[in-house]
Amino acid sequence: MKKNIFKLGIVLLGLFSILAAYLSYLHMIKGPALAVNPYNRRFQEIESQVRRGSIYDIKGVVLAKTEFVGSKGTRIYPRGADVSHLVGYISERYGRAGFESYYDNYLLGMEGADRFRNLTNKLLGREQVGGDIILTIDSSLQRMAIDLMGGRRGAVVLLDTGTGALRVLASSPSFNPNKLDELWPSLVNSESSPLLNRATEGVYPPGSTYKVVTAAGALSANPDLTGKIFDCPGYLDVNGYRLNDTSAHGELSITRAIAVSCNTTFAQLGLGLGPESFSRTAKAFGMGKDPGLETPAWPGSMASVGMITPTELASSAIGQGEVLVSPLQMAMVAAAIANKGVIMRPYLVEAVNDSLGSAVQKATHKTWLVSTTPETSEIIKEGMIEAVRYGTATAAAVSGMKVAGKTGSAQNPHGQTHAWFIGFAPADQPRVAVAVILENAGSGGSVAAPIGGRLLSAAVIGR
Amino acid sequence: MNPGTFELNNLNLLRPRGRDRGRKIEFKLLVLAGGYALAGALVLYLSEPVSGLNALAAAVVTTAAFFIVHIFWNKNRYRGDLFLLPVTAALSSTGLIFLFRLNPAYGMRQFAWILIGLAVLVLVTRLLANFRFLSEYKYIYAMAGIVALILPIFFGKEQGGAKSWLDFGIFQMQPSEFVKILVVLFLASFLVENREILIKGTRSMGWLSVPGPSEWAPLAAMWAISLLILVFQRDLGTALIYFSTFLAMVYIATSRAFYALFGMGLFVAGAVACFFLFDHVRARVEIWLNPWPYIDTTGYQVAQSLFAIGSGGVLGTGLGQGYPNFIPAVHTDLIFSAICEEMGLLGGVGILLLFIIFIFRGIKIALNTKDDFDALVASGATALLGLQAFIIIAGVTKLLPLTGVTLPYISYGGSSLVANFILLGLLLNISNEAESRL
Repeated sequence: MKKNIFKLGIVLLGLFSILAAYLSYLHMIKGPALAVNPYNRRFQEIESQVRRGSIYDIKGVVLAKTEFVGSKGTRIYPRGADVSHLVGYISERYGRAGFESYYDNYLLGMEGADRFRNLTNKLLGREQVGGDIILTIDSSLQRMAIDLMGGRRGAVVLLDTGTGALRVLASSPSFNPNKLDELWPSLVNSESSPLLNRATEGVYPPGSTYKVVTAAGALSANPDLTGKIFDCPGYLDVNGYRLNDTSAHGELSITRAIAVSCNTTFAQLGLGLGPESFSRTAKAFGMGKDPGLETPAWPGSMASVGMITPTELASSAIGQGEVLVSPLQMAMVAAAIANKGVIMRPYLVEAVNDSLGSAVQKATHKTWLVSTTPETSEIIKEGMIEAVRYGTATAAAVSGMKVAGKTGSAQNPHGQTHAWFIGFAPADQPRVAVAVILENAGSGGSVAAPIGGRLLSAAVIGR
Repeated sequence: MNPGTFELNNLNLLRPRGRDRGRKIEFKLLVLAGGYALAGALVLYLSEPVSGLNALAAAVVTTAAFFIVHIFWNKNRYRGDLFLLPVTAALSSTGLIFLFRLNPAYGMRQFAWILIGLAVLVLVTRLLANFRFLSEYKYIYAMAGIVALILPIFFGKEQGGAKSWLDFGIFQMQPSEFVKILVVLFLASFLVENREILIKGTRSMGWLSVPGPSEWAPLAAMWAISLLILVFQRDLGTALIYFSTFLAMVYIATSRAFYALFGMGLFVAGAVACFFLFDHVRARVEIWLNPWPYIDTTGYQVAQSLFAIGSGGVLGTGLGQGYPNFIPAVHTDLIFSAICEEMGLLGGVGILLLFIIFIFRGIKIALNTKDDFDALVASGATALLGLQAFIIIAGVTKLLPLTGVTLPYISYGGSSLVANFILLGLLLNISNEAESRL
């Protein structure tokens, strides 16, 4: 009988051990998801007791703040639709999004020293205050980008080449977060997807802007190409498939091929590289890689090495075929050329301050990728300067500053070509890089290049 | 008496006896439990000075009451186990503090019930110290138990889906809480008398030897009646506790795995039948498998419980800083979720550890007995308390379907508290008997 009692003891202790293990699993693994489950009313409850922190742009302009009418706080977005994809919203009905959501814990003062401070405040019946977030965005430049897009579908990305700080991340059409609850039904049903952040999550064929990547691959594989003269009869035969060029460019150097955007030359260069080197170069420029931005970003895609046929390779080399990118990615390609082949890790949060204003998080500048060599990037830069001087991108030229750029007019199944421009300035000592895309808006040279030029000018010389 | 018991007793002779040092360990541990209770009450007082003052006073008085029980035993040279009272003090203080935090009115009532429970505990250890005579009245237990379970069906009041309450005007009573003591006493006395026959059997059925109907019929009848009544009362959790205790005690007495397996088979068959027969049983199982589609209706309670636990993290939000009042029935069956929210994983595991110590001491007491009746009562009481705690904690964490039973010593409820203090008294008396033997 004693043996049986002993067994009972083991069984009971076993049951409690299982409970302890399961409870740990529930707290540690499942806990975070349960805590933010939309049906969990705790967040709303905390929300109503805390003065939520503000979100600022890099110049201290308020992007989101809470104003009190009596005891009820209302969230106000002074910049409205300009930055709504980034800043996001909080709605009791439709949940939360953007930085309002990702940095909720900081904005509500639930992290670090603020957590204990607010616990004391609560115990003493004082107001609980959240921390602030400072974004790298320059809201006046962002406003200008939105204006220049003029309501057309598209996106603009502008960043500091030396640091990776994003100054503009604009997506059009947008939505007014101050009226989210009224607008919601039309937003989710709209065919132009205003809730989509095209700048980081838009999926586009890059068109001729991608020739920059192809050029980098070809020049690294074969530096002698610098002195080589290519011949363009106006078409290229690839395995019986005829690839037509915009015109017969005749004899031309690689820089001139970039400037006039010669399809024949770049298709040949791509074929010369072969699928593996082509794909390796793409990865070196960030294709398929998550840059670790604080907001969701689509990493881009292309055909896998084994699936790349010569025809696919030739069209991929000129940014058609199965190569698909986001505007952020093309801005980083421009930044790589501007920054001697180095891409800095892109970021959006300059600092997170606690409720007393001391920084709990501060941005650091890190190299993300070494895409190519300084020598290679120098040659491509030369081509991009020439493109603005006499080539396809002349519309990007501005007075008082030398601009380097590359246009693209990407064919797509939805109608007119997508107008692309990527570039940087000042060309001799680059500080900012830009990518502009307008969906189905026509040619890059006439539609996107002028917008890119004006934004670079505004960012560098302030007009 | 089997030879194993004899050996154990010989070993006891050689061991230095803890009793010579009096009840010092109990005192030290009660100081810890008291400090814990007062710290909790102080936090409540600091955050809400008005209602917190009552909590503080209640914690002081409760701690003092536990010490008075200790002093009383010390004076009377009572030799019951030294660890059970401090563990119970820690568990019931946790309950008291959390009830004041959740709803001060419940806290005040629980405070009164703890004092009544302690008085009953003293009475049990005083009047029933020679408890062996209890083995003589097994059919009285059976009758009393059945009557107590039938009464609520006709005169009862429904609460939380279970019709298991008797309303006495100023207070309500849940007879099934007391019937569990009767179940343990009945089974222990019956099994002691019929052990040999149940082990050997009187006739053979093929390869299996089974006892005659006169031996097993009372057992089966007791089991069937209590289960049927519980099904009518819709109190599934209590039925599960009775049944698993029943199996544990039969197995301990007979060493025959066949009985345990046969019982489990019956239980599975019963569970499957209930699933198809009763909508409320089916609903519980469906909620258990996936509560999210029913989140606004029947799954609300378990979902809220999981939210509370998930929001607690490792350290918890701190006492008074969470939102456990979102959970329905948080003061009774779901109090463990509130503890997990505000004291976190560490607090939850702490409660589990207290129950583990309780079980460990209970099993030790059962192993240390010389008499079969003692051994069966001690192991039955330990199994009962341990299983009850397991079933409700597993229920609120969704490890098992949620069935409404109280968390022993912590949940709000006079019947539950007093009944559990009586069980504690029985365990202590058995250890007192063993320690006084030599």
